[in-house]
Amino acid sequence: MDNAQKRILMAKTGLDGHWRGPTIVARALRDAGFEVIMIGMAKTDDIVRSAIDEDVDLVGLNVGGHIDVAIRAIENVQKARPDLPIFAGGTIPPYAAKQLEALGVEVYPPGSQLTDIVDAAERLTGRT
Amino acid sequence: MTQNPTDKPVTCTSGIELKPFYTAADIPEQHRPHVNVAPGEAPYHRGFHPSGYRSKPWRIFQLSGFGKPEDENERIKFLLKNGETGFIMEHDRNTADHCYNVNHPDVVARREDVGLSGAVMQSVRDTAICMDGLPVDTSFGHAGGAVVQHAPFALAAYWTVAKQRGFDLSTISGTGQSDFNLTYLGCVTKEQIPTQAGLRFNADIMEFCHQHLPRWVPVSIAGYNAADTGLTPDQELGVLFANAVEYLDEIQRRGNMSLVEAARGCGGVSFRASIHIIEEACKMRAARLMWNQLLRERYNITDPKVGNLRIHCVTAGSKMTYQQPLNNIVRGTVMALGAILGGVQSLGVSGYDEALSIPSEHAHQMSLRIQQILQEETGIADVTDPLGGSFYVETLTAQLIEKAWAFFDAIQQQGGYLATLDSGWLHAQAGENQYQEFMKTESGEQKVIGVNCFKDDESPFNVDGFMGTDDAFDVATERLNDVLRTRHEHGAARALKQLEADCRTDKNIMPAMMDALAAEVTLGEIGDVYRDVFGNWNTPIQT
Repeated sequence: MDNAQKRILMAKTGLDGHWRGPTIVARALRDAGFEVIMIGMAKTDDIVRSAIDEDVDLVGLNVGGHIDVAIRAIENVQKARPDLPIFAGGTIPPYAAKQLEALGVEVYPPGSQLTDIVDAAERLTGRT
Repeated sequence: MTQNPTDKPVTCTSGIELKPFYTAADIPEQHRPHVNVAPGEAPYHRGFHPSGYRSKPWRIFQLSGFGKPEDENERIKFLLKNGETGFIMEHDRNTADHCYNVNHPDVVARREDVGLSGAVMQSVRDTAICMDGLPVDTSFGHAGGAVVQHAPFALAAYWTVAKQRGFDLSTISGTGQSDFNLTYLGCVTKEQIPTQAGLRFNADIMEFCHQHLPRWVPVSIAGYNAADTGLTPDQELGVLFANAVEYLDEIQRRGNMSLVEAARGCGGVSFRASIHIIEEACKMRAARLMWNQLLRERYNITDPKVGNLRIHCVTAGSKMTYQQPLNNIVRGTVMALGAILGGVQSLGVSGYDEALSIPSEHAHQMSLRIQQILQEETGIADVTDPLGGSFYVETLTAQLIEKAWAFFDAIQQQGGYLATLDSGWLHAQAGENQYQEFMKTESGEQKVIGVNCFKDDESPFNVDGFMGTDDAFDVATERLNDVLRTRHEHGAARALKQLEADCRTDKNIMPAMMDALAAEVTLGEIGDVYRDVFGNWNTPIQT
């Protein structure tokens, strides 16, 4: 088990300011020992730059709108750092979840268990 | 039902401990004189009209909007044809909430999102398309402008189109919103004018309506947005009246209109109707009594007409589950029933696909049908305040009032509602509640059917969300360019300059806003003026 502190970048792809979901997830991840860097509503370029500058181990995207906006962010992050795992949450309908999963992104829709999200973060960052 | 160990206290959402049953002796002393009061008598917790829904059924009032203005127009007409009795115009949130045009870099970066949450309306031409053929004179319209900085534009656009269509503004009825709980608590935007500037906008709107649109509800405080962010029902009540006090005190300070008129102006509010339905019904009853108390005790207003708190209610969106979405038809029905038992004047039922997307046409139709079945088939509308006199309901109503005033006092002690938004205290309260609520579901202490238990789903129906149209951004871009190319440029520039000048003084901005809309000034240009004059609110939370 790698004991180094793992860093998770969390961003919202849309311009919609609902904050319930991402803040609860951030709190659970911090309680589990992760360092969480929240950049809020961010454009694709900002997400990519933060992922590089902050040297994070995982990216969490809060997706609230059209899935193509999320896909653009994901593809650009993957282009910049092919090794970096990404997971996503938010109001993502089943058909859109399949599109994200096809890109290797794990999807946690409303109603997901926080323990599952924390487990995923540990698995994806290689802590366990 | 789960067996509850006898030693474990049972509480409602507000944290008030519930007894297994109630008797007359449980009703708090101070509330006993109110129990035998009839509806239509002060302090009005039983309702303002003795005949209740017999003389005035609740208004069926659904949020609606997506795509291009013509898409939204078509959906509103669909809802009206299917029995909706008012209409709500949702604006695209990317552009509206931030006062951006579609060519703003932050919008371009998310172009596919444009039109997902409402139609794009950047100029009065767009609003005219959205309002085409709508019964502006005979129906009750919600012009949009839920977010504070957007409201002056949205209202002025609606009124300008109404004028262009030949209506006398003094005769049309409808509502604005300009909700602080949405703007500064529930849905914090990327850029927003500071709270003090927002308060000034709302006072401007109230005074303008008082002069020109006496039948219009100028601003509407939405407890909903505080509650769906995490505040409990007692806190929702406390925060709503703390907000009302900011408006009334500001109007009093400005001295341009009477407090009685101001109280009438902000006496149209909205609440969330959540799933603990008896508590929610008690909350509506408590709200009416508290409004009466507040006006009497703080402002010495005794005019009975002013004490009429009109309540719009929306069922809790956050209670709608992603899993087994058809179960949400039941949740919507039950939450609507709680609101009706509480005697609300107007109701929207969230779509069963709420956790997946904006409502599909079928989800919208179901929201209407739920209301129509309750209204026409159940007999629930036959008797006013059907729960009145119940030992439990009267006790819980009184307990909620007491707890709500305590929360109101806690806000006042920190400098008032605006101060608790600026400091982030309200966000911290809501955040903690959210987390606790989430942990109860996580642990299984609070069962949510289809989510943490009974997860098997045999549904033959595939509910996959509604994504609206895919041309909203392109069409909005074309139309923006068209307006900028074909409007009378000199007139637009002059009107914008006047608006900026008025923003920099303490003049009411609404006359200049009306002129700006008539001169086809666009939303983003107005937003640029705001950003220049007022700067941005320093948000106390990191989302």
